[in-house]
Amino acid sequence: MSRNRKPSIDPVILIALGILLLTIAVVMIVLQSNTDVVSITNNAGTASQLVVAFITGLTTGGLSCLAVQGGLLASSLAHQIEQDYIEQAAHAERKKRSGKKNQTAVHSSSAFPIFLFLMAKIVAYTLLGALLGLLGSYLTLSPATRAVLMIVIGVFMLGNALRMFNVHPIFRYFSIEPPKFITRYIRRTAKGTDTVTPLFLGALTVFIPCGVTQAMMAAALGTSSMVMGAALMLAFTLGTSPVFFIVAYLTTELGSRLEKFFMRFVAAMVLLLGLVTINGGLNVLGSPLSFQNLTRNLLPSNRESVSAAQTAQSSLTEGDIVLYVQNQGYFPQTISAPAGKAFTLNLITNKTYSCARDFVIPALDYYELLPDTGTVQVNVPAQTKGDRLFFTCSMGMYTGQIVFE
Amino acid sequence: MIKKTFKIPDMTCTNCAMKLESIEDTLEGVKEINASYHKLQMTVEYDEARLTDEQIIAAVKKKGYQALPT
Repeated sequence: MSRNRKPSIDPVILIALGILLLTIAVVMIVLQSNTDVVSITNNAGTASQLVVAFITGLTTGGLSCLAVQGGLLASSLAHQIEQDYIEQAAHAERKKRSGKKNQTAVHSSSAFPIFLFLMAKIVAYTLLGALLGLLGSYLTLSPATRAVLMIVIGVFMLGNALRMFNVHPIFRYFSIEPPKFITRYIRRTAKGTDTVTPLFLGALTVFIPCGVTQAMMAAALGTSSMVMGAALMLAFTLGTSPVFFIVAYLTTELGSRLEKFFMRFVAAMVLLLGLVTINGGLNVLGSPLSFQNLTRNLLPSNRESVSAAQTAQSSLTEGDIVLYVQNQGYFPQTISAPAGKAFTLNLITNKTYSCARDFVIPALDYYELLPDTGTVQVNVPAQTKGDRLFFTCSMGMYTGQIVFE
Repeated sequence: MIKKTFKIPDMTCTNCAMKLESIEDTLEGVKEINASYHKLQMTVEYDEARLTDEQIIAAVKKKGYQALPT
C-alpha cells in the first residue's frame, strides 16, 4: 500500500540555494574590483557599498535578524510542523495497527516554508529600501544624527541580547510585538494553507527590523536614491539569508536543545554587535569615550603611526599635513600638528572604495564623501596645545586623531 | 461572556504570544484572546456556559505552555 507522503525538500535544494547565494557573493566581490563598469548611480564606489551591505548581512545581519524576527519565522513554520506532527502521529498509528516495522518515518519539511519566508522578506525589504532611498532624496542625515541613531540602535540591540539571556524582565520590552490586527489578519487569512503564511510573515518582517537591519535602513535613507536604496537593502537581505536559512533549518530540524544553544550564541553575537554599534556611534560623535579613542595611545601599533605621520609630513610643503585614506582605514592614525596654528589637511585617496571615504571630523562639523582617487584639502583652524581632534568614517569603523603639540 | 487573565510564565518571545492567540481559532466558546509577551500573560474573553478554565489551561498546555489563573 502506497502512503500519501508530503514531498520533503531534498538536501540538494539546500545545497543549490547555498551555491546560488555564494555565487551572488562572488559576483558582487568581482564587481567590486571593477567599479568603473558598475554604476547604479553617479556615486563612485556604489558596488563596494553593496558588497559591504552583503557582507554585513552575511556575517552579522543574519544572526541579529534571526534573534528579532525568529518568532515570525517560527510562526510561519508552525503550520508545517503541526501538519508533520499530525502526519507522524497518523503514521505511528498505522504502523501500530499493521505491526510493520520497516516503514520509513515522516520527516519535517521545513526548508520550503523557510525559503518562501526569506523570498518574501527579500522582496519586502527591497521595496522598503526603494522607499527609504526616495525619502532620503528629500532628507539629509547629518553625521551627528546618524551617530545618535547608531547609539539608539546599539542600545536596542543590547537590550535584545540581555532579553535573550533572560537577565531581567524589563528587557522583554526591547522585543517588539507585532500589532494584534496584523497577526490576527494573517492567522485568519492564511489558515489552512502552507504557502501563504510564510510569504505573509516574511513580508511582515519589515515591521520588526533587527538592529543591524535598522542601521542598514538608515544607510538606505542616506543613499538619497530610490534605486540605490533598493539595491542596498536587496544586497543586505540576500546576505542575511544563508545564515537565517541554515540556523532556522537546523533549529527546526534538530530540536529545542540545539535551539537553546543557537539562541545563546545569537544573544552573544547581538550583544557584541550592540557594543560595536554604540562604539561606532561614539566615534562618529567624536567622543573620547569610544573604545578606539580611549585605547589609542596605549597600543604599540598607534605609537608606530606617529612616526609614519612624521615621514608623511616631511615630504610636504610647510604647514601641510597628509592623511592617507585607504581601504583599510586612515594612515597614520595619529597625526601630530603644531598648536596655535591653522593648517591644511590633505586627504589622499587612491582606489579607495571602503567607507573610509566617508570622512568626518565631528568637532569641526566636517563631512565629505571623498573621491575614490584624488586629494581633498581641509582647512583645520588653530587649536590649543594638548587638544585632540578625532576623525572617523561615517560608520565609526575607521578612526584616527590629530594631536596638537 | 467573561474575561479572565492567565499568567504564562514560560513565554520566551513575541511568537509565543502569537501561538497562544491562535487558540481562539480552535477552542469553542472563546471570543478573543490577547496575549502579551511583555506582561507574560494572556486575557481570554469567553462564554463560561460553554467553556471552563480547565479547558483553557489544557489548550494552552497543548501549545507547550503553562497557564496559571490570576
